[in-house]
Amino acid sequence: MEKVLITGIAGGLGRLLARRLLENYEVCGVDRVPWEGRPRSIAVHAVDLRKRGFEDVIRTELPTAVVHMGFVRDFRSDLSRRHDANVRGTKRLLDHCAHYGVQKLVVFSSGTVYGALYDNPFYMDEDRALEASRGYPEIRDLVEVDAIATTFLWRYPHISTCVLRPVNVLGHYVRSMISEFLRLERQPTVMGFDPLMQFIHEQDVVEAIALSLYHGLQGVFNLVGPGQVPIHTAIRETGGRPIALPEFLFRPLIRQLFARGMVPWPEGAIDFLKFPVTLSGRRFVEATNFRPLFGLEEIFQSLRD
Amino acid sequence: MPKGPGGLGNALRDLSGALLPLSARGLGQELEERLRKIPTRLNEYGFDQFGLEPAAAKSQLLLSGLLYRYYFRVETRGIEKVPSGRVLLISNHAGQLPFDGMMLGVAMLLEAEPPRIVRGMGEYWIPQLPFVGVSAIRSGSMVGTPENCVQMLEADECVMVFPEGVRGMNKLFRERYKLQRFGQGFVRLALETETPIVPIGIVGSEEQQPGLANVPRLGKLLGMPAFPLTLGFPWLGPLGILPLPVKYRIYFGDPLRLDGSPTEEDAQIQAKVDLVRDAMHGLLQRGRAERKGIFRG
Repeated sequence: MEKVLITGIAGGLGRLLARRLLENYEVCGVDRVPWEGRPRSIAVHAVDLRKRGFEDVIRTELPTAVVHMGFVRDFRSDLSRRHDANVRGTKRLLDHCAHYGVQKLVVFSSGTVYGALYDNPFYMDEDRALEASRGYPEIRDLVEVDAIATTFLWRYPHISTCVLRPVNVLGHYVRSMISEFLRLERQPTVMGFDPLMQFIHEQDVVEAIALSLYHGLQGVFNLVGPGQVPIHTAIRETGGRPIALPEFLFRPLIRQLFARGMVPWPEGAIDFLKFPVTLSGRRFVEATNFRPLFGLEEIFQSLRD
Repeated sequence: MPKGPGGLGNALRDLSGALLPLSARGLGQELEERLRKIPTRLNEYGFDQFGLEPAAAKSQLLLSGLLYRYYFRVETRGIEKVPSGRVLLISNHAGQLPFDGMMLGVAMLLEAEPPRIVRGMGEYWIPQLPFVGVSAIRSGSMVGTPENCVQMLEADECVMVFPEGVRGMNKLFRERYKLQRFGQGFVRLALETETPIVPIGIVGSEEQQPGLANVPRLGKLLGMPAFPLTLGFPWLGPLGILPLPVKYRIYFGDPLRLDGSPTEEDAQIQAKVDLVRDAMHGLLQRGRAERKGIFRG
């Protein structure tokens, strides 16, 4: 039986994925925090990807496949520490994969790496340049992680490496910037802007990762769900209430509040409230016949439960 | 925009409804019915994949519809020639302000079967403008890049292109009905997506705002593509941008299905551009010959 190692296994998406993969694989994982109440057959190691202990885990577990989704995505910690954890952690992980005979690798990147630029075309494909750091330097590390994984993909053609860039993931378990934003009672928005946003349900994401492993996908793939709506519609459908502020007030306000730790979003995130980042998922669908099971209404409902 | 919980919002809407002349109310209903018949697929929230929202487009269309019916008194010839499915509408461009695009859009909605939303191609900086960018998208426009246009055509939409661009729009009165130099992009797009081209001649727009001179330097200073001096502008101030109540006639030509590859040399593409251009020239000649006067039917 193949064995999969999941980084970030104790997160919402990690847990869902572990349970799903248990049907076909032996599953183990690493995370910074423990996973209470996990199925007995899943071994979880509390180690740091950058430390010696992680190499020991890989050497003793000897997974045939690795799903890398353990990133620091919030801005609570110091930015340079976050950068180091994500970038150096990924680098170390990939080195171990090459060294210890891992055959399949899925790196769970994100559609945000393309950046919310005013001149973004409609549905962008995977060849689009990654420009998120231009207006949003705080997520430079996530762009770099994606680039490191893509380089690895070309350097080790005998390892099936799949870089997945999903659109906004929502669901009962997943915790992300956009899901927490939509869970607020009131959402600040930028007056006069209402970009389209694409969504995908967490269960569909888990299924898509399972499909990538099953097919041994090699390449970079956008992962797109059932559709898209303007952000104000998404806010209302998930039970929130948008408060539109003019940008000249909004920007300094967010900057000040973020500096004082009162909001979790840096100023660069504002562009995602102004301009669309819509992706074409055609390549992934052609490779796997993936079809999302959950529609937009169910996706929005899952945040209200 | 937050939807009003009732009360004041509804009261205002009722009041404005009551104050609208009967003709406008009738037109509003007609637009609504026509919008229900467009072939564009909408999702469960009323948006198409490019952000078009017919419910929001309706209120914008009402004003252009009134201009169409009662100000420019638009007539069309041959609109039934527009094929269903993906199509490029290629038209002359004139009159300092793009009323020609607006009228062509209303014509395709009110007179074509089935009614179509005409997709206009806007300037790349428009998305940066609050409200303006959103309302452009909601009414079906896009930023005019080849990438966006290809996606629209692959989705079987109806895209409008003015190959003269600002060269046409800002030309002077003595150059009326003289087609300016055409860009080649539309032919390459048509070849790439195997889209039929419908040549269009709009008669009337070329006299709506007679340009006497153009001061491009002043335009550049103000960040505009041109600074036209016309009969009314800038002498009459903001009033001066109003177009004359010319009569519009929109002539649709036979669809052209071009053969070839989008990567052909410029010279080969130019031959196809000239084909479209000649057809448009013919339509304009015919339109001018058939009319009794600039303002009369």
